[in-house]
Amino acid sequence: MKLDRRFLLRGTCQGALAVMGLPFLDCFLDGNGKALADGRPLPTRFNTFFYGLGLTKKLWIPKTGGKDYEMTTQLKPLEPFRAKINVFSELRVMLDDNPNYQHWSGAGAAATGISPSKQGEFDTKTIDQQIADVISHGTRFKSVSAAAAGDPKESYSSLGGANALPAEPSPLALYTRLFGPGFQDPTKGDWKPDPQVMIQQSVLSAVAENRKHAMQNLGAPDRARMDQYFTSVREAELEMAAELQRPEIIAKVTIPDAPPEMTCNNALPNVRKVTPIMAKLGAIALATDQTRVFNLSISEPQSQLFIPGDSLGYHQSTHEEPIDPVLGYQPRVSQYNLYTMELYATFLKELDAIPEGDGTILDHSIVFSFTDQSYAKIHAVDGLPIIIAGGANGRLKTGYHIAGDGSPISRVGLTMQKAMGVSLESWGRASMETKTPYTELLV
Amino acid sequence: MSAEKKKTNDLGLAASAQPRKKYVKLAISQCFSAKLNDVSVPVVAGSWMRNVAGLILSVAAVSAVLAVGTLAARAATTEVVSLRRLTQAEYRNSIADIFGPDIEIRGTFEPTIRMGGLQATSTGVLSITPAGFESYTKMADSIATQVTSEKYRSKLPCAPQSASAPDDACMAQVLNHYGMLLFRRPLTPDELKNGVMLGRTLAKSSNDFYAGLRYSLATLIQAPDFLFRKEEAVTVGKNQYALESYSRATRLSYLLWSTTPDNELLSAAQNGELNTAAGLDKQVTRLMASPRLEAGMRSFFNDMFELDTFDNVSKDSLFYPKWSAIIAASAKEETLRTTLDLALHSDGDMRDLMTTRKTFLNRSLAALYQIPFPFKGDWVPYEFSPDSGRSGIVTQASVVAMFSHPGRSSPTERGVALMDILLCEPTPSPPANVDFSIVNDTSGPLKTVRERLTAHATNPTCASCHNHSDPIGLTLEGFDTIGGRRTTENGKTIDLSSTLQGKHVVGAEGLSHYLHDNPKYTMCIARKLYAYADGLNSEDVEPSAVKTAYKAFSDAGFRLRALIKGMVEAPDFFNAAPPAPETPNAATKVAAK
Repeated sequence: MKLDRRFLLRGTCQGALAVMGLPFLDCFLDGNGKALADGRPLPTRFNTFFYGLGLTKKLWIPKTGGKDYEMTTQLKPLEPFRAKINVFSELRVMLDDNPNYQHWSGAGAAATGISPSKQGEFDTKTIDQQIADVISHGTRFKSVSAAAAGDPKESYSSLGGANALPAEPSPLALYTRLFGPGFQDPTKGDWKPDPQVMIQQSVLSAVAENRKHAMQNLGAPDRARMDQYFTSVREAELEMAAELQRPEIIAKVTIPDAPPEMTCNNALPNVRKVTPIMAKLGAIALATDQTRVFNLSISEPQSQLFIPGDSLGYHQSTHEEPIDPVLGYQPRVSQYNLYTMELYATFLKELDAIPEGDGTILDHSIVFSFTDQSYAKIHAVDGLPIIIAGGANGRLKTGYHIAGDGSPISRVGLTMQKAMGVSLESWGRASMETKTPYTELLV
Repeated sequence: MSAEKKKTNDLGLAASAQPRKKYVKLAISQCFSAKLNDVSVPVVAGSWMRNVAGLILSVAAVSAVLAVGTLAARAATTEVVSLRRLTQAEYRNSIADIFGPDIEIRGTFEPTIRMGGLQATSTGVLSITPAGFESYTKMADSIATQVTSEKYRSKLPCAPQSASAPDDACMAQVLNHYGMLLFRRPLTPDELKNGVMLGRTLAKSSNDFYAGLRYSLATLIQAPDFLFRKEEAVTVGKNQYALESYSRATRLSYLLWSTTPDNELLSAAQNGELNTAAGLDKQVTRLMASPRLEAGMRSFFNDMFELDTFDNVSKDSLFYPKWSAIIAASAKEETLRTTLDLALHSDGDMRDLMTTRKTFLNRSLAALYQIPFPFKGDWVPYEFSPDSGRSGIVTQASVVAMFSHPGRSSPTERGVALMDILLCEPTPSPPANVDFSIVNDTSGPLKTVRERLTAHATNPTCASCHNHSDPIGLTLEGFDTIGGRRTTENGKTIDLSSTLQGKHVVGAEGLSHYLHDNPKYTMCIARKLYAYADGLNSEDVEPSAVKTAYKAFSDAGFRLRALIKGMVEAPDFFNAAPPAPETPNAATKVAAK
């Protein structure tokens, strides 16, 4: 069944974006709306959401486990997505012989299953890159990262060592990368491969040819770096190959106009304006298969978020605000915690807002939210809050509170990768090496 | 085929320059195949001699006539001691010097990270991620497009016989010319051959010589040989290694001018001059006499004083409506100008940087410092009055604002920063379970931050570090978080006295004299300059490594030029350690999983 792509959505109604809901979309799917018409499964996406400084145990951990847990104060912003999330409490982070790097060890353990041996560095590729290695074939970008606080260094997606993948530091930068030059609009009817791209492929080929010479006389660490350079060249080649293919789009989505320049810094009002735009752009990128891995951070681990008028700011508050003797927690800190959960909800909202087949982009994703501390005041890491979202195209059960049982945090990473279709028997290292995923969550 | 040697002027090569040892070897087949092992040539530092005009074309490939040390022979006795990714400034400066300042460079650059106090150190550790390379490939194409555009063509070293057809000779000439400048060494036969082939194929398919040239040039601009500067060391004695000539030229040029070696420096490399003390001195003198030295030192001090921190500093706009990105940029510039004026233009004593009241102001800063500004234009020299409380760069807006919170000052942060930046004494991380609960908020009974920090001094676990950093920061409490002056905090008069290593000091002036007299400060400049030049971690640079340089610095009354010259002309500056024995499965943190 061939339908003219002009029927695909591109509508504005007096300047406002209008999405034309067309039943025809289903004819690109098989009868159940669960796969592409040619039998290929719908892609599953993997996303991460990083926020610094954790949450307040007293206010976020539900007392009961299982499906009927009570919605706690700090989980409340996520309530609209209750059926689509899984909450993990009392997960353990085993440091073994490594120090507890403040504002780092927890994040490193969550993202790699390994207690980091160096401050600010991951011992291996982070989980999103490990998954991207498996699922990103044919997409334009292997992964895309964005930082709502405006600093390209606030990226917790890494190739290992000090090599974090830079994050787009503003909505406009993110838009330009995704939908600026080089973007083949799959919603346009008259799609044609760009001959320029083919020429650029020859250029990249020529660059790659010099690999042997470039690697000469290098010591092992420099060889690894040079190797990474050539891997990056290769990824650019793959990106161009993807640009030469006619894109397949199932989701109901419209490419928006470019966002304006915005101030992106640690002031909370600005982060609140920037996050939904970045989330939306990321969601559309997933829907149009520009990438299958999208990473969003709203702060650095030692979150410098502040509310104008509060001279302490978030991080300082975690250390300087006294514990209220009646409440039993730090009130201002807990308010900041809540704000970060609201931002997470914003991200989920944008993913859930794009219908695709029988579900939404969120249903066809996993979103892995992680942080650096379980109790920022004392830099504790045990009990690091982990809240994941999305059903991974039906491969992950959702709606549960998995109450702690001393499991290492790496069990979540293993479980998610299995749901993503990555074949691996174990994940993590040393005391956090695990072979047992949460089978109760795997379909 | 006979060996033809014609001279070419485009590289400014001396007509009669002879390398110390050479083999003249030519073969058309040599160039086609990668059989470089066939030619065994002793390794000669800098003995490349390229003859562009002697190219002989063939149907299948380009051949080159050359006197050369081959790659295979170099492989046995050559080691790459450092591989440093160009910083954004270095990339831009290099492109501007190679292709002209009117070439636009639009793109994002991957960030570097600060290690051991310097961003420069990370250039030797970081690789290029896919997102980073995406940007490089786009920029390379954009630059090459501009360079081959119509209005630029007259600058190219040759013109094709026909603009709508391939021309291997001209293609090779252009690629050799720019290749040498981009790679900071002559192109190898293979590199040239591949470049000409690509250029010819694309010129042919588009019936446009310049299209072919564009893509071939773009290949060079995104090659690792441009994006990374390789420092190669060769054997100079029994188990002794030193940088070969082109690597010396590269290191000198990026240190002193923050850009790629110019023609004269490249010739000096080629002729082996940089391997002699006299030849090295001649070039160093030339480079240091040039006004371009300012660009190099600007880049160094920007790094050492961590002025890039400003790119991510947020100040609370409710408390400090005056603060803006413009003030941040101005504050940065003020510190750089003050430093460069003292270090280079006045050729002054670097210790005076800690105490000088001389600075440069623009309108925004004048407003911040609450000084009348009846001047036209910006960056007017200004000297603070003795009672202004300003004393040296530690009291400039940059330093006091960068290491402070959005809404309040921080003696600890300032103290830690100054110790790290100026004294090369980084502070270890606080213990994980540090308990601030006795520090109440500002509406409690402890009004000033000094009172709130007393806990640091009385708790023995905390005191070991805080007794070093806090006293420094407390002397600067006369400045709020954006660098404005204040005498009271929350209604209470601020006490600016402190004890630094047993000495009683009061206020910023006391601090600046303490720093002025502290030998760790001048040693720190030396260590950081050395680390910056070599891409090392400053924490790994022992004072003994900079002994010669420091002596020259000290003997000359701590003049920066003496430090620079003493450092680069020290007999061991270009030395390298012998290659480490390879262990199988050598672990690298950077290796991909």
